[in-house]
Amino acid sequence: MDDLVAARATMAFSLGFHIIFAAIGMTMPFLMSVAHFLYLKKKDPVYLGLTKLWMKGVAILFAVGAVSGTVLSFELGLLWPGFMQYAGPIIGMPFSWEGTAFFLEAIAIGLFLYGWDRMSPWVHWTTGLLVGVTGFVSGIFVVAANGWMNAPAGFDWVNGVAQNVDPVKAMFNRAWPHQSLHMQLAALQAVGCAVGGIHAWLYLRGVASDLNLKALRIAMVIGASASILQPFAGHIAGESVAELQPAKLAAMEGHFKTSRHAALTVGGLPDVETQTMKWGVELPGLLSLLAHRDLNAEVIGLDKYPREDWPPVLIVHVAFQVMVAIGSAMALMGVLYFWFVRRGKFPRWFLWVVVACAPLGVVAIEAGWVVTEVGRQPWIIYGLVRTKDAVTPVPGMVYHFGLFVVLYLCLAVATVWLLRRQFRTVQQKFGG
Amino acid sequence: MIDILVCFIGASLLLYVLLGGSDFGAGIIELLPAGRLREAQKEVINHAMGPVWEANHMWLILIVVILFMGFPTIFTTLMIALHLPMLALLVGIVVRGAAFTFRHYDAVQEKRSQRIYTVLFGLSSLWTSLWLGIIAASLNRGIIDPAAREVWTAWFAPWWGVYPLAVGLFVVCIYAFLASIYLVGETEQPDLKKRFLRLAGWFNGLVVLAGGLVFVASTTERESLPSAFLKNPLNLAVIALATLLFVALWFFVAKRRTMLTRIVASGQVALILLGWYVLYAPNALITARGPLSFYTEAAPPATLWQLVLALLIGSLFIFPSIFYLFRVFKLPGGAKH
Repeated sequence: MDDLVAARATMAFSLGFHIIFAAIGMTMPFLMSVAHFLYLKKKDPVYLGLTKLWMKGVAILFAVGAVSGTVLSFELGLLWPGFMQYAGPIIGMPFSWEGTAFFLEAIAIGLFLYGWDRMSPWVHWTTGLLVGVTGFVSGIFVVAANGWMNAPAGFDWVNGVAQNVDPVKAMFNRAWPHQSLHMQLAALQAVGCAVGGIHAWLYLRGVASDLNLKALRIAMVIGASASILQPFAGHIAGESVAELQPAKLAAMEGHFKTSRHAALTVGGLPDVETQTMKWGVELPGLLSLLAHRDLNAEVIGLDKYPREDWPPVLIVHVAFQVMVAIGSAMALMGVLYFWFVRRGKFPRWFLWVVVACAPLGVVAIEAGWVVTEVGRQPWIIYGLVRTKDAVTPVPGMVYHFGLFVVLYLCLAVATVWLLRRQFRTVQQKFGG
Repeated sequence: MIDILVCFIGASLLLYVLLGGSDFGAGIIELLPAGRLREAQKEVINHAMGPVWEANHMWLILIVVILFMGFPTIFTTLMIALHLPMLALLVGIVVRGAAFTFRHYDAVQEKRSQRIYTVLFGLSSLWTSLWLGIIAASLNRGIIDPAAREVWTAWFAPWWGVYPLAVGLFVVCIYAFLASIYLVGETEQPDLKKRFLRLAGWFNGLVVLAGGLVFVASTTERESLPSAFLKNPLNLAVIALATLLFVALWFFVAKRRTMLTRIVASGQVALILLGWYVLYAPNALITARGPLSFYTEAAPPATLWQLVLALLIGSLFIFPSIFYLFRVFKLPGGAKH
């Protein structure tokens, strides 16, 4: 593994790890607040039990998210000093706002976790809600920084140096709105459905039926709604990528040759050597329609780009297909969910579907980040700075990578182990 | 504008050392034998740190953000030359935060797992504090060479040596001292209070010893601290004042004025940081190829304006919230229901 590959692997691994906890930190406080609200309104002790159960989850997962986020703020410099040198002054602004929001989140979580008998109940409830709001806002800000890497703005590039820096323009780059919409919905969708799925599973096993059914309903309102909205957000993102980063779209779709009336390939594996798609189902004209709202529009293919500017086509295409397949399945599940809510009863087979969807949202988030990050390659700032020119000169990056793999694997195992212990105590407390 | 940013970095650093430092110190104290007071001490530390440690930790992130947005050259130079100590610091931060939270929120509170969390929490607190001191000492040694690519000169020499190690130990002692002073006011149990006071006494001695060690070790450096201090009498006065304040500190301890003791101890730390800044100001780093000053390495004005704006607006939200947090949990007479 050379240093560049090791640095990229470290970044991918740290980000892939953190993003799960970030998504949880943006969503679970809201679930917790809803349960807490229902308890304060109805005085039903089951809702209190649920609030405290989720609160402990939030406490554990937030801490992991906070420390892995700290690691990332350092790693920007430890791994990509060549990037931060240019990018810091241009795109530091959303980071400073993200830092502010995250700071408030850390204060709010301290108040909520330890403030049960120290504040009036509704003030206390508000601090819990604020954990969610500030977490959500900090997520929106940090995506702005990633959006800028995809659609750089707010400076003039003169002989390899950034001039006339305008941080406001950089922050409000053109990729921010669609990326943020897509990401925030993904967090709500993945975490809502994951929590719903876990409670559906406990319910099916006959554990604490009342509590788990109530938990399922709270989590799935958010998870299922987001699942239904997500395909639209995804479509908006796709249209923007078609305009801002045609090479990325071409890699996502395995679209090698620029053409009119371009076909959408479902499934399939791109073969870069022969520049063809194998084993896919072609739907003629659909790609042109989706990307440019016109069946006969021209869709730029990879042939318009020199070979060294291609992203790794196979990875991007497969990740994209995985994301879209999961997104479609979950949207369908979301529709079914509301249909069964209207009928007033969930059949057992559907609850098993919910269980099956629990891990899928998380997989889709990871796949989606592979699409946007690997799809941006070979650029770290799209079209301007190559990833290989931004990497740290420090040698032996493979050890750095190995260290974090071991550290984070231990952390992941410990977290799962702790969460299982939480659920086991629920079983003891609320019975079968 | 740069003055405002330097003030923000200074204030964040001070608050990180004071607030975050006492949290680190609490972990270090838990490593020491406590006999039958062990469980009670753990409870006090859980309650003292639980609500605030995450907020206290944010001051460090704030410094990182100000550096990479406002002073990118300083940030990248640091991150390249001090890659290894930074990595060590990060590992410590991850293990420490996780161990502390896991200890409190583990649904099954059994002896063995609790013991493991406590040991991890203590060791990582010690480890992280040590590396923080090493990093602080490495900034101004004149050894960091941004152009070096040979493994030893580029990535080991900047932080290797007795002087950074001495500063690391000094930081460890200061943190443990701060935590002891701070924890005295966090418990009503007489025997625990007595224990924390005794620890404060011990660490007071150790801080002075480690401080002396830093001075002695600095004679191996390009410019030793004694000679640097003699050039700048103000600095000497600052350090002397910090040491003299120990008298006031123990006077207030004897009078059982908890708040005043905390304020004096914080003042001592503030003076040490001030002395450190004045020694090298306005340079953030002194490299083998000359100093990097906050005033020459700043980002373009448009960026600095936005950063100052974000910090000022952020402060409007953060400071009242922090004050509320501390009022609810810390100050006597905090809101109770």
